[in-house]
Amino acid sequence: MGTCVITGAGDGIGRATAIEVSKCGYYDSFALLGRNLKAMENTVSLMGDVHVKIYEIDFVNVEKIPEIIGRVYKDFHSIDCLLNIAGYTDPQPLLSTSLESFELTYRVNVFAPFLLMRECTKYMKRRGGKILNVASTAGMTPRPGWLSYASSKASVIAMSQTLTDELAEYDIKVYCISPGRCATKLRRKLAPDEDPSTIMQPEEVADVINKLIDPNDTCLDGQNIVIRKRF
Amino acid sequence: MISAILLSGGVGSRMHNSMPKQYMLLAGKPVIMHTVERLDTIESIKNIIIVCSEEYRSAIDLMLKQYGIRKFVKFAPAGQTRQASVRSGLSFVETEAVMIHEAARPFVQTEDFSRLIESTDENVIIGSPINYTVIKGDDCVTGLLERSELVNVQLPQKFNTELLKSAHEKAVKEEKKFTEDASLLYYYDQSVRIRIMEGTEYNIKITNPIDMVIGDMIYREYFQRRA
Repeated sequence: MGTCVITGAGDGIGRATAIEVSKCGYYDSFALLGRNLKAMENTVSLMGDVHVKIYEIDFVNVEKIPEIIGRVYKDFHSIDCLLNIAGYTDPQPLLSTSLESFELTYRVNVFAPFLLMRECTKYMKRRGGKILNVASTAGMTPRPGWLSYASSKASVIAMSQTLTDELAEYDIKVYCISPGRCATKLRRKLAPDEDPSTIMQPEEVADVINKLIDPNDTCLDGQNIVIRKRF
Repeated sequence: MISAILLSGGVGSRMHNSMPKQYMLLAGKPVIMHTVERLDTIESIKNIIIVCSEEYRSAIDLMLKQYGIRKFVKFAPAGQTRQASVRSGLSFVETEAVMIHEAARPFVQTEDFSRLIESTDENVIIGSPINYTVIKGDDCVTGLLERSELVNVQLPQKFNTELLKSAHEKAVKEEKKFTEDASLLYYYDQSVRIRIMEGTEYNIKITNPIDMVIGDMIYREYFQRRA
């Protein structure tokens, strides 16, 4: 069956995805990568009957990614799917945005997915696989005050489209989704006054991710798929 | 098991570029790595012997790490000629059979390597019919050749290692020059059967600048679309 690597599985879309994908039978092994061990353990308790291992990493420290992915491969002997879901935001207007804040956003939202894709591809390229990156509608349309987040998500969209062509030879499909307003902790930082019950729920995004990484799906890679709920 | 010699000693003088063609980027990837990645997936290949000039060893070594290549790779020094480079590579071969390919032919499919390796013939080359006329001549026509009797010799090629080594030693002693190894082996032992398997029209050798442009199209057509 194979191994699925998931980032951001401690809450929100990552947790909902880990739970849903673990129950659909595509993969029998899961590597959850993140910094909040307790939250990930909670996710594991809600997952299906699969083999799960947690790897502690704060994606600010992206330099550790090659070593962690090496360990994942050593533990499971294959890497077949990568779901880049972890995200970070510190919404500020240009004049208030520090270099540190900008860099931190890029470390989590851009550098980490880049390194995870690079390292996983080394193992995935022998028998093909799937990579799915979670971008955002913020990466497609202007959002004053969200400079670092919006531009980092635009980068995720561009990386996904570039790698769709580059990795086709290895039979690695690259998917990119851009959820709109979704009730997550990250969304709360972007829109603190919004009632989360009135917007899209993480489970609804997880449902789309689950459909995309179905091994039988081959037609939706290479495009930025917008997920929006109409109310 | 079989060893694969990958010739990468060319200097790319016809490319008008300071970097040899096999290290230039084709579809975003160094030309040489297209072949190395495919060789890396074939179980029956024991090792890869890359014949290259000393100055490119560390660059290739880095590429092998970057692309996660798992096969054991040895380096052999490039010679002054292609023939000398093959001889250099052969000195590192310990298997009964050897496959020779050149880094400047990045469009060889994994299946091409496999059917060569799996062939029951000891000596097999890839070739294709010639669809243009070739005549003898310099600045004047001096003779004719029958097109139907000619074959465009491609790589990869597979040989019995000892037979090929022995033929190379004879060539050195006699100071005879050959441009590829089927000719060399045939010259010294015409009793040896060298089978010709039909190649594909896209297994071109990157030689001139225009080949990089054509190569990009071939890559898209045969590799990305195939996937």
